[in-house]
Amino acid sequence: MKLPEQVTRIAVVVALVATLALLVRFVLIPRAYFSTAVHQSATVRREVARPVNFAGASACQDCHAEEWEKKALGYHKGLACETCHGPAAGHAEDPMSVKPFAPRDRKFCPVCHAYDAARPTGFPQINTESHNPLKPCITCHNPHDPVPPETPKECAACHAQIARTVALSAHALLPCATCHTASKEHRIAPRSALPSKPQTREFCGQCHAGGTANPDAPKVELASHGGGYLCWQCHYPHLPEGRP
Amino acid sequence: MIAQVPPNLTELLGQVIGYIYPNEIEIHWSILIVVYPYLTGLVAGAFILASLVKVFNVKEVQPTYRLALLTALSFLLVAPFPLLLHLGHMERSFEIFLAPHLSSAMAMFGFVYAWYLMGILLLEIWFEYRRDLVVWGREHKPPLRWVYRALSLFSNDISEQAVAFDRKAVRTITIVGIPSAFLLHGYVGFIFGSIKANPWWSSVLMPIVFLMSAIVSGIALVLFLYMVITSLRNEPLDMKCLDKVASYLFYAVVVDFSLEALDFIHRLYQSEESVKILAQLISVKLFMNLVILQVLLGMLVPLAVLVAARTRRVNPDLRKLLYFTAALLIQLGIFSTRWNVVIGGQLFSKSFRGLMAYKMEMTGLEGLVTALGLLLAPFLILFVLVRLLPAKRAEEAPIHPA
Repeated sequence: MKLPEQVTRIAVVVALVATLALLVRFVLIPRAYFSTAVHQSATVRREVARPVNFAGASACQDCHAEEWEKKALGYHKGLACETCHGPAAGHAEDPMSVKPFAPRDRKFCPVCHAYDAARPTGFPQINTESHNPLKPCITCHNPHDPVPPETPKECAACHAQIARTVALSAHALLPCATCHTASKEHRIAPRSALPSKPQTREFCGQCHAGGTANPDAPKVELASHGGGYLCWQCHYPHLPEGRP
Repeated sequence: MIAQVPPNLTELLGQVIGYIYPNEIEIHWSILIVVYPYLTGLVAGAFILASLVKVFNVKEVQPTYRLALLTALSFLLVAPFPLLLHLGHMERSFEIFLAPHLSSAMAMFGFVYAWYLMGILLLEIWFEYRRDLVVWGREHKPPLRWVYRALSLFSNDISEQAVAFDRKAVRTITIVGIPSAFLLHGYVGFIFGSIKANPWWSSVLMPIVFLMSAIVSGIALVLFLYMVITSLRNEPLDMKCLDKVASYLFYAVVVDFSLEALDFIHRLYQSEESVKILAQLISVKLFMNLVILQVLLGMLVPLAVLVAARTRRVNPDLRKLLYFTAALLIQLGIFSTRWNVVIGGQLFSKSFRGLMAYKMEMTGLEGLVTALGLLLAPFLILFVLVRLLPAKRAEEAPIHPA
């Protein structure tokens, strides 16, 4: 059967479009455009060409052995030297004429140690306005072995977040020692000598069970209230009026 | 340190209900992304109506056949623009063809679109109009003659044999075209349905619901256009055709309504952890759009109107009015459907604990004016197309198919 003429015409158009598409795709555009290998090697070249800024921790150790050892035993052992001192490749190359940065004012340390409710509890945090105003941090703290210059007297020195929460709660007037017993050791080695926490419902019941003395504390029937749950599964002791 | 909230968002902060994540305050898919599925839906629906004539031999709908094809074409030509305007950098859009991302449904849009436009719609329209183009090319004076000659690809043969071949070609293309129309709009639904992080979208029914609502809106649009254009020309409306199209519209709305009801009941019965926030979304944010506009005015009222027009022996003039009302209400309803899917899906927090607000721009690139322009543009294109390619077959035809 002979093909109708319109089929030939439309076929020419289709062939033209298809040829054009194939021509553009396979001839005009360089293969590199589609190849991920080319992109990858270009990225590697670009990164390799960047100047090296950091000397690396072991380079510091060669000359500053004393500070190195001190830091390795202290709380800052997880930090690299260049975290505080900045990129020091230039200093390692030419120690005399290039000096690395050393933070000596009050601006740098609060980057980590200013009070922030999101930081983990026990992480040393200060209120920069009230904590020895204007005094540079390094007058009291040695950054290579950052222990407090004197043993903290109050729990709030480390547990700032809890202290701030409790201050707003009905438990504000209770000293921490009402519920926690902390040994002297805890102040020096906080993680190896943990303070105690209440263990039983009866502990809270000392104030909150019906018939107990303290008239300001809300009373509950200890035997029936809350079923088998422990008090702090529903009530947060540092802010008991907060809703769970 | 507290991040600064851009001034245009501080206003929205006041309208947040409950808890949301910080990066959820800004709604990224704007009204343009509402317009996009609405437009493609009209394309698919109009095409399906057209295919009734050729594949299923529904003679009554013949008067709307060419109009439906041209409607599909003019809306399809505008369909990618909401996306291009939303994404920006239109000049780079061709790159999705050069370096196709085969595993991304969104990146495949170019191919789905190109296939439907060039593989189906243009080809079908060309075969359908070829004989007439040849005749008009002979009748008209230049420069219109050159336009018709060029459009017919300088074809000349209008013998019975050649026209018979055209008819066969149209039929074949339509048969391939039905699944392709399903693909085009099912694909749009698939994109939403496959976003598993969003419980409002993530549903395997989504492509099918999209498709049925597309058919509803497309049929309603062609009905509307047929009535308007014929009246503007002072020609009598073919009541048989209107009744038939309206009955298809009725069935389509019934199926669409059942599917959406099924989807709704299924979600309610499954009661996944998202059900509470979705209930809140419907009752607080989408009550007007979903319950009133989409379901009541966009579905139940048109259904009642169509039922009334069919069961009561109403006279043709009243019937026309009823059909016209139903068609308009359905457009409103389907646009609300798209709005509720696209905007609704972005109004609740991924935490399932809060609701955001969407504030539409007026004049910006993604604003109301752009959206209205995009909704208007297909009608302008259609105006030109109908002028250039009239629905009436060319006279002085040696052969005239029944």
